Amino acid sequence: MKQNFSAEHKKYLNKLKTQTALTHIARILLLALIVGLWELMASSGLVDPFITSSPSRIISKLTEMFSSGSIWQHISVTLYETLLAFLISTILGSLVAILLFMCLPLKRILEPYLVVLNSLPKIALGPLIIIWMGVGTSAIVTMGVLICIVITTISMLNGFLEIENEKIMLLKSMGANKFQILFKLILPASLPNFISVLKINVGMAWVGVIMGEYLSSKAGLGYLLVYGGQVFQLDLVMTTIVLLCVLAGLMYMIIALLEMYVNKKRK
Amino acid sequence: MNLLTISGVSLTYHSKTNETLALDNLSFDVKDGEFVSIVGPSGCGKTTILSLASGLIKPTSGEIFVADTKVTRPSSKIGYMFQRDNLFEWLTIQKNVLLGLEILHKKNKQTEAYAYELIKKYGLNSFEKHYPAELSGGMRQRVALIRTLASRPEILLLDEPCSALDYQTRLVVQEDIWSIIRQEKKTALLVTHDISEAISMSDKIIVLTSRPGRVKTIIDLNFDKSLSPFERRKQPEFSKYFDMVWRELI
Ligand SMILES: Nc1ncnc2c1ncn2[C@@H]1O[C@H](COP(=O)(O)OP(=O)(O)OP(=O)(O)O)[C@@H](O)[C@H]1O
Ligand SMILES: [Mg+2]
Repeated sequence: MKQNFSAEHKKYLNKLKTQTALTHIARILLLALIVGLWELMASSGLVDPFITSSPSRIISKLTEMFSSGSIWQHISVTLYETLLAFLISTILGSLVAILLFMCLPLKRILEPYLVVLNSLPKIALGPLIIIWMGVGTSAIVTMGVLICIVITTISMLNGFLEIENEKIMLLKSMGANKFQILFKLILPASLPNFISVLKINVGMAWVGVIMGEYLSSKAGLGYLLVYGGQVFQLDLVMTTIVLLCVLAGLMYMIIALLEMYVNKKRK
Repeated sequence: MNLLTISGVSLTYHSKTNETLALDNLSFDVKDGEFVSIVGPSGCGKTTILSLASGLIKPTSGEIFVADTKVTRPSSKIGYMFQRDNLFEWLTIQKNVLLGLEILHKKNKQTEAYAYELIKKYGLNSFEKHYPAELSGGMRQRVALIRTLASRPEILLLDEPCSALDYQTRLVVQEDIWSIIRQEKKTALLVTHDISEAISMSDKIIVLTSRPGRVKTIIDLNFDKSLSPFERRKQPEFSKYFDMVWRELI
């Protein structure tokens, strides 16, 4: 896309570029500042690294865990649980939304229950989950699913209901049945909404899985956090948090890329 | 021959707080090949008439026939074009045009060929692979009309197809719709607020009373058949008809 812009427009574009660059620089500086201050305070004895850990301790912990390979098991366990919770809740939640949309009397009946379930703090169900599902992966995944599924159903359903009635009428006037309306209109029109639900769920699945691992686990990043806290190894706790930040960020980026791809395809 | 017959139709809308008698014992008919416009005060039930004729809603009393068959549900004999174009933004122009055929499971070589013929004939072939967002309002309305025509309806129902457009585009689209409908030899029932639109496009104008809608009067327009909407506006009779309709509306 080469175009001959006026000098004024080039100036405007340059200004935009500078702005973006400055924002990036400021972000990196902010991180460097925090890390630097933290390190300085810990090494000068201003704060006790036994309680606050420190960037250098985190780095040596990281290298230790990666070189011994012990961390991979924890990462893979948590990643597996998170992906499973994410997929199950997104698929199941969307299917329930479709069912409620296709059968509006059911939606009317279930609405108040959905509202209550949505506002219930899911951690309250922890004891039940453990008793019903046993300790282990299934309990943890269930916690993740519970956190995501209700909000998935509610947001998808609201998206369906916001689709212009006139478009539905148009299809009806063409002689479309319920399923044609669903597949030709409702689902394709809901794609942007679906992607924003994915974005929310990607964060929520982590919350649910870490919570689940707090409840009961033998491995995983949540397990490391609990263990590190119990044996007062703040280096381990901080390192795990850093890893979590990176993993959650990566997963969000994948969804963001997916969104970009979809937007590009649809213009 | 009557293609559309509305006979003694009444319709009451019910809502939680109210019931509204929208149409009261309404009768009129549209002959094969005729272009009929309905004008009336806002809220008098014009859209309701089209919803009834298309089979989307059922009359409280009275009967509706299209080509001697009683209308009980939507059928491919009727093509309904709504006020807004309602193009699907995620489909190309080509796929939008084929939507009706797909719904009817009538997509085959023959019907597709007819749709392409329409696309070509009415200057949309260079936009075939484009998305609706890339088209102007007037072009979008043309696509909506072609989409309606592609399933070969016998009668077209048009609900204020130009009302969302600016004045200049509106004149162009009126010309467009009129000439396409004429070339395809279709019967049309057009609803509008715009008196000059009705006079410039139709053979006959039905003026409705304010709600509940009833036929107040029917005005036959005797323009030379070959005059386009734009040329009609320049005829001396135009203002005479305008006066007649205007008087009936107030
Ligand atoms: N679904 C509905 N439920 C209740 N009342 C309705 C409904 N649809 C229309 N009405 C009422 O019925 C009357 C006729 O509506 P209609 O839309 O047919 O009028 P219209 O002549 O097309 O109006 P406009 O000029 O605004 O397009 C209006 O008073 C409207 O408020
Ligand atoms: Mg209307």
